[in-house]
Amino acid sequence: MAEPRQTARQTPPPAPREEAELDHERRGFGGALKALIVETRSVMPAAGATGLSLVLVVAAMCFLASLALGAALTVGRTSADWTRELSAALTVEVKPSDAMAQDAEVEAALKVLTDTPGVLSARALTRADTEALLEPWLGKGNVTEDLPLPRLIDIRIDGHAPPDFDALARRLVEAAPGAILDTHRQWQAELVRAARSAQWLAYAVLAVVAATTIAIVTFATRAGLQANREVVEVLHLIGARDRFIAAEVQRHFLHLGLRGGLIGLGLSVATFVGLGWYAQTAGSFLMPVSGLRLEYYPALAGVPLVAALVAVVTARTTVIRTLHRLL
Amino acid sequence: MFSREPTPRPGFFHDTLRPMIRFENVGMRYGMGPEILRDVSFHLAPGSLHFLTGPSGAGKTSLLKLMFLASRPSRGLITMFGRDIATLPRAELPDLRRRVGVVFQEFRLLDHLTTYENVALPLKIQGRPEESYRADVKELLAWVGLGERMMAKPPTLSGGEKQRAAIARAVVAQPDLLLADEPTGNVDPEMGKRLLRLFIELNRLGTSVLIATHDHALVEAAGAPELMLKNGRLTIRG
Ligand SMILES: Nc1ncnc2c1ncn2[C@@H]1O[C@H](COP(=O)(O)OP(=O)(O)O)[C@@H](O)[C@H]1O
Ligand SMILES: [Mg+2]
Repeated sequence: MAEPRQTARQTPPPAPREEAELDHERRGFGGALKALIVETRSVMPAAGATGLSLVLVVAAMCFLASLALGAALTVGRTSADWTRELSAALTVEVKPSDAMAQDAEVEAALKVLTDTPGVLSARALTRADTEALLEPWLGKGNVTEDLPLPRLIDIRIDGHAPPDFDALARRLVEAAPGAILDTHRQWQAELVRAARSAQWLAYAVLAVVAATTIAIVTFATRAGLQANREVVEVLHLIGARDRFIAAEVQRHFLHLGLRGGLIGLGLSVATFVGLGWYAQTAGSFLMPVSGLRLEYYPALAGVPLVAALVAVVTARTTVIRTLHRLL
Repeated sequence: MFSREPTPRPGFFHDTLRPMIRFENVGMRYGMGPEILRDVSFHLAPGSLHFLTGPSGAGKTSLLKLMFLASRPSRGLITMFGRDIATLPRAELPDLRRRVGVVFQEFRLLDHLTTYENVALPLKIQGRPEESYRADVKELLAWVGLGERMMAKPPTLSGGEKQRAAIARAVVAQPDLLLADEPTGNVDPEMGKRLLRLFIELNRLGTSVLIATHDHALVEAAGAPELMLKNGRLTIRG
């Protein structure tokens, strides 16, 4: 017993309490990163209501959230592409007809077009313009005055609020029997509308999944604290500060959230890669050939981080609230 | 034997002039229930050793709970280390709790931690790095006869071993006041005597000790003053 006494005397006196505490919390970025990946032994038990089952729930939620987010981003991108194409020039072709003089038909069609909301501009090409367009095929000066040429009207439409193409085509024909709206883009507008709805739906799913995850993590934290009530109470009674206990519990939930989130992320990445592969072999139209565009993967990586953050914040507030009920 | 001297604190000598714990007309009830403690008044001087006796259900544990700040009195004044606990901000309670070591009646060891980790807990919660206390904790464990059982978890310990682990945890941070709730309740008389010697030794090293017990043999063996609880009232003998 004499030897340990000597060594005990030689050890320098411990730093004042507050300083030691701060020292402990300031372990630098490397330490923090390591602590994120490897769960160091906590004074909180890892098992119980907050163990594996919660990791699985968080994983499932993050999987759904990643899918919803990936779908929202992809569909949003696709609809944006289509919108841009839509806003490019459309053409109204006015064929010579027996019913009306061609110039009168062009006038009538222009009037219909300028009166239509969603049409930004309409410009009739002159006969000279049309002849110029034909020159490469017919040669200069070979277009004779009596050759019946269609007249073209160049229109620009608002891609964000495209006109109803069916109605527009009908009104054009009524006003000018020879006018034909190049309506092959009509279905594309429908698709843009559908895609935009799908995008909002995906964001709605994302919001529901996020809210559900928060609710589940809250319940699980409460249940976990209830199961570990004895631990929390003993720590409290032997003089642990609220922030020490909260930090211990938080740490546990940080790992739990990250672990679940990473599993969910892995599953969703596998799903997107699988879909991309499927699209490549079978051909798909909503999903780009690569599955999810590479630039969206970082956004997906945010999902487990958000899940971990939600878990940590929920755990912290729950613990602090529980502790404030004790003296 | 137990080598570590109590750390002098600022105001240590000043504190010796005043009682470290003072109860004045303290009453306590649980919820809307009857008063468990009525007009309890006493004080504990620094370095003293007292027993708290009374039949089971007399309110010994309840009185200790007031002293380790687990519950508040329904009336009366309690000062600890010169501070009125009724007016103390919540953030300052942990510092007071750290000056009081408690041996709980049901031990309250944490089952998922090893004996070593349980005993080291009061130092860990102070944020001290493990290297600074590992040797001290091991020495203390050897001193209470748990040197071989350091890595065992509480569920595998015998009653006496749990008792000694609980005592080790209560004294590891060198508290000014040690509260022990029926510390010999779960052990045979021989172990009871050994534990009593341990408390007396700690007391000699400067810690104030209050032992709640209904074991009169223990009180007689020590011959220390006795706070007697009966029908919620406290009388002092010796
Ligand atoms: N948490 C509690 N809620 C309500 N009543 C309690 C509680 N703890 C103890 N009591 C009651 O207070 C009285 C004193 O109990 P206690 O302080 O444990 O006595 P002792 O430790 O002397 O056996 C008993 O009648 C007991 O039923
Ligand atoms: Mg009791």
